[in-house]
Amino acid sequence: MGSLLEIRHVSKSFPGVKALDDVAMTLATSCVHALLGENGAGKSTLIKIITGLQHPDSGEVLLDGSPVRFNSPREAAARGIAVVHQERNLVPRFSVGENIMLDRLGAGSLSRIDFVAIHDEAAHWLRLLDLDIDPKTPVSRLSVAQMQLVEIGKALSLKSRALLLDEPTASLTPAESDALFGIIRKLRADGVAILFVSHKLEEVFQICDTVTVLRDGHNVCDSVPLAGLGRQDVVTMMIGRAERISSRAPRPKPATTPYLELRGFSSALGHREIDLAVRPGEIVGLYGLVGAGRSELAKSVLGLYRQTGGEIKIANTSVHIRSVADALHHHGIGYVSEDRKGEGLILMHSVLDNAGITVWRRLAGRLGLLRGRTVARAVGPVIERLEVKTPSLQQTIGNLSGGNQQKVSVAKWIAAGVKLLIVDEPSVGIDIKTKAYLHDLIHELATGGTAVILITSDMPEMIDVADRIVVMDGYRIKGEVENDRNYDRVSQAIMAHIHARKAA
Amino acid sequence: MDKRFGMQLLDNDWAGPALISLAAILVISALQPSFLTPFNILVLLSAIAVNMVIALGQLVIVGVGQMNLALGSLGGLVGVCFVGAIEVLGVPTPLAVLMGLSIGVLAGMANGYVIARTGISAFIITLASLQIFKGINLGITKAQPFYGVPDVVKQFGNTAVIGPIPWLIAPMLIAALGLWYLFRRLRIGRYILSMGGNRQAAELSGIDTVGTVIWAHAISGLLAAAAGMMLVARLQIGQPTIGDDWLISSFAAPVIGGAALSGGHVSVAGTFFGVVIIAIITQALVLFSIDPFVVQIVLGSLILWAVGINRFREWRFAKMATAGA
Repeated sequence: MGSLLEIRHVSKSFPGVKALDDVAMTLATSCVHALLGENGAGKSTLIKIITGLQHPDSGEVLLDGSPVRFNSPREAAARGIAVVHQERNLVPRFSVGENIMLDRLGAGSLSRIDFVAIHDEAAHWLRLLDLDIDPKTPVSRLSVAQMQLVEIGKALSLKSRALLLDEPTASLTPAESDALFGIIRKLRADGVAILFVSHKLEEVFQICDTVTVLRDGHNVCDSVPLAGLGRQDVVTMMIGRAERISSRAPRPKPATTPYLELRGFSSALGHREIDLAVRPGEIVGLYGLVGAGRSELAKSVLGLYRQTGGEIKIANTSVHIRSVADALHHHGIGYVSEDRKGEGLILMHSVLDNAGITVWRRLAGRLGLLRGRTVARAVGPVIERLEVKTPSLQQTIGNLSGGNQQKVSVAKWIAAGVKLLIVDEPSVGIDIKTKAYLHDLIHELATGGTAVILITSDMPEMIDVADRIVVMDGYRIKGEVENDRNYDRVSQAIMAHIHARKAA
Repeated sequence: MDKRFGMQLLDNDWAGPALISLAAILVISALQPSFLTPFNILVLLSAIAVNMVIALGQLVIVGVGQMNLALGSLGGLVGVCFVGAIEVLGVPTPLAVLMGLSIGVLAGMANGYVIARTGISAFIITLASLQIFKGINLGITKAQPFYGVPDVVKQFGNTAVIGPIPWLIAPMLIAALGLWYLFRRLRIGRYILSMGGNRQAAELSGIDTVGTVIWAHAISGLLAAAAGMMLVARLQIGQPTIGDDWLISSFAAPVIGGAALSGGHVSVAGTFFGVVIIAIITQALVLFSIDPFVVQIVLGSLILWAVGINRFREWRFAKMATAGA
């Protein structure tokens, strides 16, 4: 078991956040290595650095003991490092074999493709994976699990010595995962170094030999044997101790009538029997591991995905929410997306336009005329109150730091005067100071009578901010924990709810 | 009709347009017997030949998931350069053809290079090069046609090989079969389709995306050049306005033929029937002396219908892909 790939003192900063800080990791041959950490801990940045999609600010990557610097995943693949990404990277209309051999279809651009040879070669890799698929099958006919395995076959066909698997089991059933583990063990026996990224700890303990845990861009541990560690040790390393559970002034008791109530709610995405109530002035946390269905629940309530059963009540009246516009304009529900850049903001537009987008409909004159000054008057005070650091309201929002962008994405809902605010992973990619500020802001809003749902995978944040914590797993609600800000008790109670399924 | 049979027909890109072509031919020839006279067939096939090469020039770019707005402007430029070289510079005809094709390839490569290197959308880049090619065209011709088209070229554009089959069908057949083979069997063809089908997958698989885009535009330029010279042969004159009206039908034919405008899926046979349908509609205008506006409305409706069918197919395809088998 020798060291194949070594990460040494790697640091990487993005505007406003240090993604990796002096991180180390060693992948050895014939070894399955777990890379663990909560959202935003720096796992994906580390993988991107290994494959050349990003370059470290300092530190180095060593392959076979000598430093390497890849400029693209192609170069990494040429040296035997292959990645299977979480997103499917196959061409759906092409055959399995053609997908596996996509970069080796012929010597020159005008070479005639020998499909018989391509499919023969592909069949070899499929056999190696015990995969009973005809290589001539179009990829679009495969199940998700089969596609996952085809991607692994494609990675192996590059004669990979290191295989990076990013959440390979996220969309697999337990039986399919077991089959995948069998293949991983076989590859390990053949000397391949495997990096296994997963949020499912039971899988990690089932398959992995060594582990590296990242938290907030730091190594909590660097390539230590997994044997001897308990699951509780790993969880503690991942979520960390409560470093800063601030003492907060007690808020007035929330009203007794819930603003939003879900009863036996189910969605087209697979939520079942969801019962949830949020009262005005209350902060309800939704905790769960990645894939528990929390953001998806929020989006289903907003009307983005179809409700298939149960009922939604707003202020004691049963309603049907058809669209996000409906949710905002008729029911006063706002949603701060976890994907700030993709879903929350229009990066090339100004601060004013981003913050004002929710109130345009209200402010527009009778003829639909909208005046910049009217919007500025409505939005300006909120921007000021949130201390958004911007030279002017006309500034393009893409030029602000992540923290200030996040403030604007909250500001637009405050400007709209929502009665229920759903905040999804508010502190991903923002600095500690803004994070504390956002926490205070959420409290302030709740004190003012807004109902708040907080979705976060950051345990200290959850315990710092929420009044009570509802635990989700597998698109269902697993239980509820009253938050008394006793970190050990609360975090253990939450974990107990999540793991109840496995014990049962 | 059995439902499954209907679905299978729907899955086939060219079957629908082929049926429509057949129906249109039957209806029109029943109403107007002069439709199927050898002379009329010759005229129809000549139009189809040129329009097919134009449509194939767009099909390559649609396959890679882009658009080429400069197709007509480039075709027109090559057309006038071709005649101009013969008339003004006295270049021998075969050499002038070769020169025309080279201009097409080089201009296409330039388009592709700028698009791939800058990452700016093909729509914008080809919108710009449309203007540039047109400007050069007008600078060369001073907006006056060249009349010095050699007799051999005129004959190529206006006589029949045998019966009602025009010579112009020959370059069309070469282009269509060549492209069909390219998309099915040649590495570059598969690369073009893989980029159109899932750009990220192609890139992460180590495909040279820059080179692939340049190739696609070079082929498109080659076909635009061929179509420009074919049109010169047919019109017997080096008109500076050649190519001005190619845009709509160059997209309409591939789309009617089942191509996904998002890229990754094209059909050469389907495109052919798309071209046939458009040609028949245009002919019907002349035969029945219909107002030109009706033809435009019918053509627009046809595009909407084709896009609707494609959308339905893609939706079913996506559903199949997520459900698995």
